[in-house]
Amino acid sequence: MSETTGGGAARRRPRATGLGYVLRKVLGSVLTLLFVAVFNFFLFQILPGDPAKAFAPKGRNSDPEALAALRRQYGSGLSLWEKFTRYVDRMVHLDFGVSYTQHAEVTKVIGERLWPTVLLSGTALLLAAGIGVWIGARSGWRHGSRFDRSSSSIAVTAYSMPEWWLGLILIFAFASPGGLDIFPLTGMRDSRSTLPEWLDVAWHMVLPVASLAVVYIAEYSLIMRSSILDERYSEYLTVARAKGLRDDVVLRRHALPNALLPSVTLFLMSVGFIVSGAITVETIFSWPGLGLLTSEALRGPDVPLLQGVFIVFSAGVILMNLVADLVYPLLDPRVRRS
Amino acid sequence: MSTPSALRRTAIAAIAAAALLVPALPALADATPSAGASGGAAGRSKTSFVIGMKNEPDSLNPYVGVEAISYDLYQLMYDYLTEPSATDMSPAPALAERWETSADGKTWTYHLRHGVKWSDGQDLDADDVVYSFQRSKDGETENGQYGSYVDPIEKITKVDQYTVTMTTTEPSPSMLHLAVPIVPEHVWKNVTAAQVGTFANDSSVVGSGPFQLAEVKKGQYYRFTANKQYWNGAPKIDELVYQLFKDDDTMVQALKKGDIDFAEDLTAAQYNALKGDANITLHSAPSTFVYELAFNLGAATTENKPIGDGNAVLKDLNVRKAIDHAIDKKVLVDKVLQGHGSVATGEIPPLYPKLHWDPTDADARQFDPAKANQILDQAGYAKGADGIRVDKSGKKISLRLFGREDSEDSKSSVQYIRDWLKDIGIEVKTQIMSTEQLTDVIGKGEYDMFHWDWGVEPDPDFQLSVFTCDQRSTEEDGAISAGWSDSFLCDPAYEALYKKQKTIIDLDQRAAAVKEAQKWLYDNVVYSTLWNGHVMEAYRNDRFTGFVEQPSTGGSLAVQFGTYSYRAIQPYVAPAAAAKESKTGLMLGIAGGVVVLLIAVGAVVMVRRRGTADERE
Repeated sequence: MSETTGGGAARRRPRATGLGYVLRKVLGSVLTLLFVAVFNFFLFQILPGDPAKAFAPKGRNSDPEALAALRRQYGSGLSLWEKFTRYVDRMVHLDFGVSYTQHAEVTKVIGERLWPTVLLSGTALLLAAGIGVWIGARSGWRHGSRFDRSSSSIAVTAYSMPEWWLGLILIFAFASPGGLDIFPLTGMRDSRSTLPEWLDVAWHMVLPVASLAVVYIAEYSLIMRSSILDERYSEYLTVARAKGLRDDVVLRRHALPNALLPSVTLFLMSVGFIVSGAITVETIFSWPGLGLLTSEALRGPDVPLLQGVFIVFSAGVILMNLVADLVYPLLDPRVRRS
Repeated sequence: MSTPSALRRTAIAAIAAAALLVPALPALADATPSAGASGGAAGRSKTSFVIGMKNEPDSLNPYVGVEAISYDLYQLMYDYLTEPSATDMSPAPALAERWETSADGKTWTYHLRHGVKWSDGQDLDADDVVYSFQRSKDGETENGQYGSYVDPIEKITKVDQYTVTMTTTEPSPSMLHLAVPIVPEHVWKNVTAAQVGTFANDSSVVGSGPFQLAEVKKGQYYRFTANKQYWNGAPKIDELVYQLFKDDDTMVQALKKGDIDFAEDLTAAQYNALKGDANITLHSAPSTFVYELAFNLGAATTENKPIGDGNAVLKDLNVRKAIDHAIDKKVLVDKVLQGHGSVATGEIPPLYPKLHWDPTDADARQFDPAKANQILDQAGYAKGADGIRVDKSGKKISLRLFGREDSEDSKSSVQYIRDWLKDIGIEVKTQIMSTEQLTDVIGKGEYDMFHWDWGVEPDPDFQLSVFTCDQRSTEEDGAISAGWSDSFLCDPAYEALYKKQKTIIDLDQRAAAVKEAQKWLYDNVVYSTLWNGHVMEAYRNDRFTGFVEQPSTGGSLAVQFGTYSYRAIQPYVAPAAAAKESKTGLMLGIAGGVVVLLIAVGAVVMVRRRGTADERE
């Protein structure tokens, strides 16, 4: 690759992928995470609500003493500083506390919901990246063709569509008794299903994955299309053609690797958002993931659980940003030089 | 060269098309898992009754879960000493076959049923009962949950293997409403005090109830299998499943589709939309909920220190009476609830026929704006030039009225009330807020009026206690914490009435005392009680039959104290097997057609593409 970018000077300079670079990036991520954790604490101090009353057994516990005891347990009455030190102490021990709504360790509650979200958003993301890149490359390569014109306008439409709205339309068309009625309405499994579990889950995944993927596909194809357009008239491609290579091969071996970089960045960024990605779609489809958990935790509000999911979401994004930072120089020599 | 490549591409297209359709095949092959089950669940050996639920249980551990749905699940897995009867909610024998009370009313002897087994085969006896009560009394977490039942109990004693006595400091009728689940000692003794707060109790649960936990899929469903040896009549179905829906419209769709068999807690709009579906039976029945317009009667802490900023004009009984006369409750029931409710007067809903109280015609306040105006005129609140009355200090009477964000009924009710009160010269400013915020402002006494509701239990004690002095807010280190009072009533006359009903053991005499307390609340307009709620339910009559109402005067089919319906229902058997096969055949045909079409299109495209390849390259 260094030949194509003509990096004679690059070879004499110290590589940006050295240990110092890595340490700098890691340190930056850790600091960001710490800032988020501190910010996270103060964010939830301004929420209204009395968890002791919201989660007290109404009608079953009329004893004012018990109510007061519950409040002490939830830490009300402590000064802000005391609450903060308690929070920091817990964070250091990776203890997110006990969820008010589920009466279980926050880490356990989040753990139970992580897998469905990764499955749903991850599948949608992989599908979307694959299909989107293919469509984008094709339409950029044959700029102005009928395929390009139709796919671009569809992509712009799909990109501007809210995911949950598309989800509702898909439910109406394919799942509701008034429509085709061939897919399940919601959920991840059917309790009465006689199918093998993986097939039952796959069957339930089709519509939510589709509603997420359509929007992602549009995003990838638009980005891929514009970067292919940038490369399309480059001289190295003319050289490749002059060698007598087939059009497909020119695209695949020469144009694609160079045009792929923005899409890779987008992909790595999206991976960070996988865990938080699909709050609306998960709610529409009652998909038992972290997005749905977040919307449930707002009731009350369940502060320890909310703090937990916020940290997990932020950590996901920060971690994938770090990965992107570290991987990018390996993929693109231009970054190495800067 | 081009022919093998075209074939290859055709093959890929075919595989892709098939891959897209495979996930849809189960639906086609199975004609959707339960829609075609009118002739008994074809291909399935079990009859599974699936109920849609809107909220997830917060815990299966009976010592920590506080959501209403969680208590429903405890009822499936565990038994109680007594339970409200199916006919009129009065205490009926459960694990306690019979009981006696000593002459002074302070010693209770419960005779347990013989031969009741835990799901692991061990006997349920007096040890388990004593253990369950003692644990609820001694454990901090456990007591937080069941304290109101067990705190009056001084001593719990095992007399013999099937007899338990309990003594109380004062005679207490609540001893017949002890909704404390009896858990197996041999299992729970291994759950320490430190563990119990986060103990999930979601696998290998040992219980004695009519259904036992089989599978939990968090955020999805909770599956229970029937206890075919249940002492009080084995369930006729094999499985009971609670399935979670985050969106109630989807739940209604799932019922129509046959994915679930029962939907509860419907809105009037959803209920009406289901009308006309022959396979769905609709049921609207009185619920435990009573809705009220509450007043700030002078917010103060338990130490009588005034708090908040309530308008003092509401302390005047005449003003509250006038407001109650100005509200057309019938219109609220007809318009807001679309008829699914009834006008309320007493604080205990008609769901409890023995405790429910209605005023005599002479005492009842009717909708009468003219009378309301007259009361206010006589009380000296003259109307100003703008038609708004002024209070004794010459200030315009303007009251805040809060409604709840999560309830459409609440939102529209406050608007009706605002308009009605304007007619009697009282200005009302409405505001909609979240329940969290509303709880907060009520506790601090920073309100004039709000619209909310209470769910009333079979034992009326708690409901009546929320009007006592002790339930007002408390102050500790300058921070105000709410109690359960949301009226801030503190009146010696009412305190006496509350204490009286608390110590009468005879059911009829106690009912009379409970009614007396309700009459006092009504006469003093502590609330303007608006309506008794209904629970709206719908079920698939082509799948299940034999539902039982609780109470038998037309109560709910599923929201019950006890498991009467769940044990009584059985699969519906159609008179003649209906031909549902045609649908499956048709769908398979369509699917096959789509596959063939996709393959054909794929092939044509690929062949054409190959054909023009030379030009393009």
